[in-house]
Amino acid sequence: MPGPSAPLLVEARGLTKRFGGIVAVHALEFAVRPGELVGLIGPNGSGKTTTINMLTGHLKPAGGEIYVRGRRADGLAASAFAALRVGRTFQITQLFSRMSVLENMLVPGLARPHSTRPAVTRAARQHLEFLGLAALEKLQAKNLSGGQQKLLELGRALMLDPDILFLDEPFAGVNPFLRDEIIALVRKLHAQGRTFVIVDHDIQALQRLVLRLVVMSRGQKIADGPVAEVRENQEVLRAYAGI
Amino acid sequence: MRALSWCGGLALAASVLAFPFLVNAYWLSVGVLAMFYAIVTASWALLAGYAGQFSFGHMAFVSLGAYTSGLLVKWFDIPVPLGMAAGVVVCAVVGSGVGFVGLRMRGPYLALFTVAFSEVLRIIFVSEVEITGGSGGLEVTPLFHTRSDMPSYYLGVVLLAASLAVMLALVASRWGLFFRAIRENEDAAAAGGVKVMRFRVLAFAIASAFAGLGGGYFGHYIGILTPDIGSVDQMGLVVAMAVIGGAESIIAATIGALGLEFLVEALRSYGQWRLVLFGALLLLTMRFARNGLLALAWEQVRRVDRMRTSRRAREVGE
Amino acid sequence: MTDYLLIQALNGLTIGIIYAVIAAGLTVIFSILRIVNFAHGEIYMMGGYFSYFAIALFGIPPLLAVIAAMLTSFALSILAERTLLTPLYSPTTERKGDYGILVTFGISIFLRNLALIIYGPYPLRPPSFFAGALIAGPLIMTWDRVFAGGAGIVMLAALIWFMQRTPWGEALNAVSQSRESAAIVGIDDQRFYMLAFGLGGALAGGAGALVGPIYSLSPSMGLIPDTQAFAIVILGGMGSVAGSILAGLLIGISESMFIALFPDPSRSLTYAQAFSLVILMIVLLVRPTGLFGRVHTAME
Repeated sequence: MPGPSAPLLVEARGLTKRFGGIVAVHALEFAVRPGELVGLIGPNGSGKTTTINMLTGHLKPAGGEIYVRGRRADGLAASAFAALRVGRTFQITQLFSRMSVLENMLVPGLARPHSTRPAVTRAARQHLEFLGLAALEKLQAKNLSGGQQKLLELGRALMLDPDILFLDEPFAGVNPFLRDEIIALVRKLHAQGRTFVIVDHDIQALQRLVLRLVVMSRGQKIADGPVAEVRENQEVLRAYAGI
Repeated sequence: MRALSWCGGLALAASVLAFPFLVNAYWLSVGVLAMFYAIVTASWALLAGYAGQFSFGHMAFVSLGAYTSGLLVKWFDIPVPLGMAAGVVVCAVVGSGVGFVGLRMRGPYLALFTVAFSEVLRIIFVSEVEITGGSGGLEVTPLFHTRSDMPSYYLGVVLLAASLAVMLALVASRWGLFFRAIRENEDAAAAGGVKVMRFRVLAFAIASAFAGLGGGYFGHYIGILTPDIGSVDQMGLVVAMAVIGGAESIIAATIGALGLEFLVEALRSYGQWRLVLFGALLLLTMRFARNGLLALAWEQVRRVDRMRTSRRAREVGE
Repeated sequence: MTDYLLIQALNGLTIGIIYAVIAAGLTVIFSILRIVNFAHGEIYMMGGYFSYFAIALFGIPPLLAVIAAMLTSFALSILAERTLLTPLYSPTTERKGDYGILVTFGISIFLRNLALIIYGPYPLRPPSFFAGALIAGPLIMTWDRVFAGGAGIVMLAALIWFMQRTPWGEALNAVSQSRESAAIVGIDDQRFYMLAFGLGGALAGGAGALVGPIYSLSPSMGLIPDTQAFAIVILGGMGSVAGSILAGLLIGISESMFIALFPDPSRSLTYAQAFSLVILMIVLLVRPTGLFGRVHTAME
C-alpha cells in the first residue's frame, strides 16, 4: 500500500462535464497513487463512465483539470493519454473485429515510438500467453467468445505497458468462472506494479479485489476510502437504496 | 494453390507488357484509359475500403490534378512531368485539407461532404471559362508527340506499377495496420495510442495525391480536358469498379478497374445501357458478394481446391 | 427593385416548401432506417417524370398526376428497399453504415443512368399544370408555383397528421425515437422499414412532380435538391419534421435571395447550384454530429 506522500499518478481537480442541460459530473476531486487498486462504484447515471472517459481522453471536461504524473493532461486526445501509458477497457468491448487477435495486439504496440515489429510481436505473444489466448492468435477477433474478447481487450491495453489501467465494467455479463479469472489476472498484474481503477456494478467482486472504494452518486463523489469504511457509510447506503 | 497464383501473376504481367502488340490502336487507347482508371480506383480503394474513409470526392482530385498540370504547362511552359508532379503536390495538400476538415465527420456525413465538395469544384471549373475553358474544354499539352499510344500505355503501366508498389508497401507496414484499425474501430484505435486524426488526414493526402497523378496522366493524354471527369457519374464508375473488383483489396480493385474499363468498351454498341448494367452489377455485388467478385471467385477456387485435397486424402486413406 | 426582391422571396418560399417536403421524406427514412439515403434525389427525379408521363400518356388532371407520381415513387422505393436494403436489418451484416452508403449511392447511379436512357439527357419541359399567373398588386406568381406551394403544404400537413393521428404513423414515430424501445413493445416489423422508405420516397416523388413544370425535368435534377434536403435535415434537427419545415423555408428563401443578388449575372445560375452545396458543407462542418449527436450521447 503506497504511503500518503507518494506522487500522484492520475489526479482530477474540480472535474465537470455537462451534456446538454444535465450535469453528468460535478466538481469531482479524485486522485490515484501508484500501486493502488481502486474501485469506482455508484448507481446508474452517477457519472462513473463519464469520469473514466474524461480521465482517458475520450471526453473533454467542461471544467476542471486532469494531471497525469503531475503534468496537465485535460484536453489531450485519447491517443495522447495512451502514449502517457494510461490504458483502459470499455463497457462494451471494443475490438478491431475483422483483424486477427495478434493484429489487435500489434496495433497499440506499434503505435508506441521506437517500437520494432519483432519486439512488439514477441511482447504481444507473451501477453497473449499470460491471458490464455495464445492459441487463438490467428483468429479474427469477431470470432472469439464474449469472454475471450474481454480478455483480448485487456491484452490490448497491456500492450501500452500502462502504469495505470481503467477497467470499465470488466465483470458485466460475465460468468463466475471468467469473473474469477479476471480477478486473478488483475491481482497478478497489480502485483507486477500496475495501478488499477475499476468501475463496476458487481460490488461483491470489487470488494474481494480492491483496497479502496470511491462512490459516486449523481455526478458527485459521496465516499472515498478503505472498503470496510465505505461499506458502513450511511450516505452510500442511501444512494444505493434506490436501486 | 501457390503455383496457380504465380502462374496467374506471370501470365497477367506478360499480357500487360505484350498488350500493345496484340491489339489494334483503338484497344490500345482503351488500355491507356484502363491504366488511368486502375490508378484512380486503387487509390480510392485504399482510402475508402482499406482506411474506411468513404470519400465521394475522389474524382475532384483527379480533375484538380489534371487542370493544375494542364494550366501550369500552358502558362509557364514547364515540362509536362513537372506539371504532373505539381498536380500531385496540389492534390496532396488540398486532400489533406479535406481530410482535416472532414475529421469531425464520420461515415455518411463524410461521404455527403465530399460529394458536395466534388460538385462545387466541378461547378467552379465549368464556370470559370476564361481560365479552364469550361465545358468547351481545355487544350492540354500532350505527354508524347507520337501518333501511337504505345508510349502513353507503357507510361501508364509504369505509373500503375509504381503506385501499386507504394500502396502495397504502405498496406504491409504498420501504417497499414493503423489504417485498418481506424476503419474497424476509431475509439479502440485512439485508446491504443493510434493518432487517429493524423492518419485520417494522411490517408486522404496519399489517396488524393494518387488521384492527382492519375488526373495529370489522363489530362496530358486526352488532349482536351473537360470538367466532366470530376462528375458524380465518373465517381460512380470508379466506385463500381472498386466494389465489383473488391473494395477492401487494392489488387482486387485494380483488377476490377481494368476489367470494367475493357468491358465498358466491349459493350460500346449498347450505348448508355452499359452504365445501367454496371449500376446493376454494382448493386448485385453489394447485395450478394460484398467483398467483390474477385473474392467470390477466389473462394470458389479455394473450395474446389479443398475438395480436391480432401478427396485425395480420403483416397490415400483407403 | 423591392418588388423584384419580394417576388424572389415568394418564389423562395415556394421552393422552400418543396425542399421541406423532400427533407421531411429524408427525415422519415433516416429516423427509422438510420441510413443516409443517397438515392433520395433520384426518387424525386423519377416522381417528376412519372407525373409528366401520367399526364402525357393518360391525360389525367394535374392533382391526380401528382398523386399517381407519389404512388409510383412509393412502389419504386419499396421495391428498392425489399431487394437491396434488407441486409440492414440482419444481425449478420457487418458494417451496416458502409453498406447503406454504398448501396444507396449505387441506387442513385443506377437510377440516374436508367433515366438517361429512358428519358434522354436533354431537359424536358412539361407543360404547365395551370396556365397563367396569380397577380396581386405588384406581386406575380405563376399558378404552377402557387399550386406547388399549396400542394406541398398539404403534403406536409398530411404527413404530420399521419405521424400523430394514425396507429401506423404513431408506431413509426415510436420506432424513430428508439428502435430498442419499440422492439420491446412489440413493434419490430420489417413492414415499418418498408413503410418508412416508401413514405419517404413518396414525398420525394411528389415534390418532383410539383417541380417539373416550374424547373423542367432532367435525369440529374435530383442532385441539388437532395443536397438541400440533407442540409435542411441536419440544420433543422433530427426527427423534427417541424424543424425541417422551418429550415426548408429558410434555405429556400436564402437561395432565391442569393440568385437575385449575385453580382455576376452570367455566373449566377451555375453558382446558384454551388450555393446549396456550400450550405451543406457549412452545416456539416458546424453540426457534424448533426443527426447522431444527441441520440448517441452516453450519459453514464
